[in-house]
Amino acid sequence: MSTRAPRNPFTLRASELIESDGTFLRLFGPGVLDLLQAEQIWNRVQPIYSAPGGGKTSLFRLFTPACLLTLYDSRATAEEFKDLNRRLKEISAISEDGPSVLGIMISGVGRDADLESLPLDQARKNRLFFSLLNSRIAIATLRSALELKKLTFPDDLHRIFIQRPKVSDFPTSIPIPCTGDVLMEWASDSEKQVCRYIDSFAPSMTDTFIGYDTLYCLYFLQSDCISLDGQPVSPRSLLMIDNIERLTKTQRTILFNALVNLRVPTGVWLAERLEALTPRELFGAEVGREYEKPIVLEEFWRNESTKYEQVIANIADRRAKLNPDIQMGPFQTCLQDSLDSAEWKAKYLKAIETISIRVCDKVRSTKRYEKWITKCEAQDGTLREKAIGWRVLEVKIERDRKKAQKQLVDSPLPEEGLEMKVEASTREAAELLLSREFHLPYYFGFQNLVKLSSSNIEQFLVFASELFEEVISAKLLKQPTALSPYRQESILTRTAQKLWDDIPLASQDGRDVARLLSRMGEMCLTETIKPNAPYAPGVTGIALSMKDRDRLINPHLIQSHPELARLSSVLSSCISHNYLLMHSGVRQGPKGVNTWTVLYLNRWLCLHFGLPFQYGGWRPMKTIELIKYIWSEPQKTDRIGAL
Amino acid sequence: MTNVKISLPRWSDYFYRKGSEFSKFWNEYLTSAKRDILFIVAQGFDPRMCEGMDILSKSGGFGKRDCIVVDFDEGQNTPSRKYEYLIEANKKRLIDIFPEGEKKHRVVPMLSQEGKRIGSRNVANIFNEPKDLENYTDIVVDISAMPKAIFFPLLGSVLYIADALAKQSKKLNIHVIVSENARIDSLINDQGIADYASYLHGFTGNLGTESYSSYPKVWIPILGEKQSRQLERIYGLVIPDEICPILPMPSTNPRRTDDLIVEYRELIFDRWNVNQKNFIYAAEQNPFGVYREIYKTVLHYNESLKPLGGCQVAISALSSKLLSIGALLSAYELKYYGLGVGMAHVETRGYEIERSIDLEIELPNTELFTLWLAGDCYEL
Repeated sequence: MSTRAPRNPFTLRASELIESDGTFLRLFGPGVLDLLQAEQIWNRVQPIYSAPGGGKTSLFRLFTPACLLTLYDSRATAEEFKDLNRRLKEISAISEDGPSVLGIMISGVGRDADLESLPLDQARKNRLFFSLLNSRIAIATLRSALELKKLTFPDDLHRIFIQRPKVSDFPTSIPIPCTGDVLMEWASDSEKQVCRYIDSFAPSMTDTFIGYDTLYCLYFLQSDCISLDGQPVSPRSLLMIDNIERLTKTQRTILFNALVNLRVPTGVWLAERLEALTPRELFGAEVGREYEKPIVLEEFWRNESTKYEQVIANIADRRAKLNPDIQMGPFQTCLQDSLDSAEWKAKYLKAIETISIRVCDKVRSTKRYEKWITKCEAQDGTLREKAIGWRVLEVKIERDRKKAQKQLVDSPLPEEGLEMKVEASTREAAELLLSREFHLPYYFGFQNLVKLSSSNIEQFLVFASELFEEVISAKLLKQPTALSPYRQESILTRTAQKLWDDIPLASQDGRDVARLLSRMGEMCLTETIKPNAPYAPGVTGIALSMKDRDRLINPHLIQSHPELARLSSVLSSCISHNYLLMHSGVRQGPKGVNTWTVLYLNRWLCLHFGLPFQYGGWRPMKTIELIKYIWSEPQKTDRIGAL
Repeated sequence: MTNVKISLPRWSDYFYRKGSEFSKFWNEYLTSAKRDILFIVAQGFDPRMCEGMDILSKSGGFGKRDCIVVDFDEGQNTPSRKYEYLIEANKKRLIDIFPEGEKKHRVVPMLSQEGKRIGSRNVANIFNEPKDLENYTDIVVDISAMPKAIFFPLLGSVLYIADALAKQSKKLNIHVIVSENARIDSLINDQGIADYASYLHGFTGNLGTESYSSYPKVWIPILGEKQSRQLERIYGLVIPDEICPILPMPSTNPRRTDDLIVEYRELIFDRWNVNQKNFIYAAEQNPFGVYREIYKTVLHYNESLKPLGGCQVAISALSSKLLSIGALLSAYELKYYGLGVGMAHVETRGYEIERSIDLEIELPNTELFTLWLAGDCYEL
């Protein structure tokens, strides 16, 4: 394939699809390393979870010998890598002498479900599984060791020597101590034998293959076991197993058990998508395991939103710079983020006029709001601020009128009432209502683009690539490259529609997922656009009580209630595909006595349904209501909240 | 891996008939001698399921006529569930076609209890021994209503058994029937595809092994419409160094190639940087043409990349079933030369027919194809 620079670098998504290490590193945002705490990462089993595109593989790739060497070798010359080099030094992945970790990355185990469906007893299947995994780890270790020392694989394997680990039960069938070429031959033969066994059309292969009952190869990953020309290859090793979600549940369990039981002081990172988790794990009911608390990437970034925005800005700038034809500053400058310029004057004047007349008509029969209206008429600020002010007033009046206790005397409310109680959320609700009524753009600007990504880097790239495509076109046509708010919103809405249309195809429970989300979106919008904006700035999620959550993960109940099983499966699918973002342990009520599991719509779904991006607004729902959602007919219109 | 002596391609001479020639061939073939036939058909909702069998049953002849119905179970929540009435109609039609003769149902679970895709492995277990088939002279596999994840391993295992019997000087004729209707194909959409791609059972090659991971990977996707999600997921599995898309040319719709290029422009050019010189063109209605092109391409890449130890090749059949057979034949043949060819595929949970469409109306435009893959005609 040609190696020309990509026309739209935002279309380069998964790290493994970016061929060159240099390009990958140029696109890597160093802030991602905030995930790792230096003192703990090198000698523990660390699961890392995320939805697809969360950045697990990118993180792993960074620690492979090729990337670490590229960084180290260019430490003095390449300005763009300086920050990354510094961060890696801080966590002791690179030292003054070079990379100080032997990163060994393997992608899943391969043929996992096939292996599990072989007509064999479980013990034999487990032994085949560990055989395959042991051989793959051995081969990957040898390859990485030579790569780290800039030697040629497999020609220089004889220079590697593997010591026998100091454990009593190490199997004699693994030919250790030995040189690398001997170990390679053993591992390769073993891998090919298992694969032939799994992939054969031959119906009853007689086989004398014995296999292994645990992950023995972990033992020789310790630094004192692997040497090259008599010198240790690296002070430490790091085994990174990607795509754990492809394992069957049995394989996953025996792998985790083996890692825990072996207690080898080597870093083992396990990346898996959320879909691999059982509903119990997914809903956070299963914690306190013997290995480290899993890092859930999206959750981490949600709690570190400022850092996330910086990381995203950094990633966006790096990508934008990769196109040599577009000489531009920060990516943010391509996205206009204000509606205060002159072109919007007419729209806002019309809005002010319409709302002010409407408000005055509504309250003509009472003096109660006189001072509020006077204060609103006298407000300072831009036309946009004034229009929002009028819409806030309308919301406040609606709320006041809904109050049960009517005042006996029709005396004007103090004007402070308007100002004191206008919290940010009401203003945000008013802005949304205003944009809906007067067809003003609402979803635009870099900050909204970051929010739209819902803490998932690939999701950011999906939307950003569409915007950048427009920037490239504008540049080609010699037009201004800063996209107007209208254009941004139109592109983002179109992209969200594409994602929405893709749901039935993209996930296994797709149709049920689409129905549930469609009804949820409908409910959220109904609550959000009520005239008194009761849950300002809007409702964007649902909440399950602990009791209902427990029903969804109770195996006995699920077994006896197929509809509950279906709901549990659909909700799991929604969470693992990042359609719903789970916030567990949300407390509410007097002294926070009630605990809820809140499921927020992904922010791109908020865009699709015409909802605000802020979190906080949710409505409690019972499982029975959600089951009805799944059974209900899908919406006739695709986009409920058309602006 | 590369030091392989390869003779002429197995299917350099081939036999296939289509359209009006289909019934003519079967009539002559079945009446020319006693034939003990095992029909293998999949139980689906596709109205084309029984088209070929119907003609065969009316073609006369004598001998045993048995049938195995592969009932692929996609689980309770499959989107195809709502087409039960079409499945029932097909069942009734099958009984009408074969009122006599043994009919066995083989249920193939496509999903494990935890939702993993196991259909491709399970279907290969239908025939465990050569003795399962040696009582027949002919095996006729109708793939018209079979998902690719079913017919690839099924045909692979049938061909394997035929080859094993041939080594014992026992003849077994293998035929494949397919009812092609581009319009019906375009109205049936995949729903709920698997979260990740995988290699079909029997066609994994050396792909995904650590031993061969440093070998360059070549990916040959046969392009069909509305497959971008699948293409993305397969790309994520293979992570190829080189991509050689196969485009249908010549095709019934002369603009089809252009339309496909437009449909996949972003993927092919913007994201994957595919060199235009890598495009391969193969006739839309000749699976042996596709077979030949893939075969040549694999050998060519292996030869060119010999200094690097050779290469690994993944093929993906994302187009019609007819062309998919070409992919299957090349993968099957090259597997036995040890050339590491795999079939990368994304399985589907079910299908949805576009609203307000009556497939029966489209049925008369179906064209029948029959391919003779092994047996008498190759021994002349």
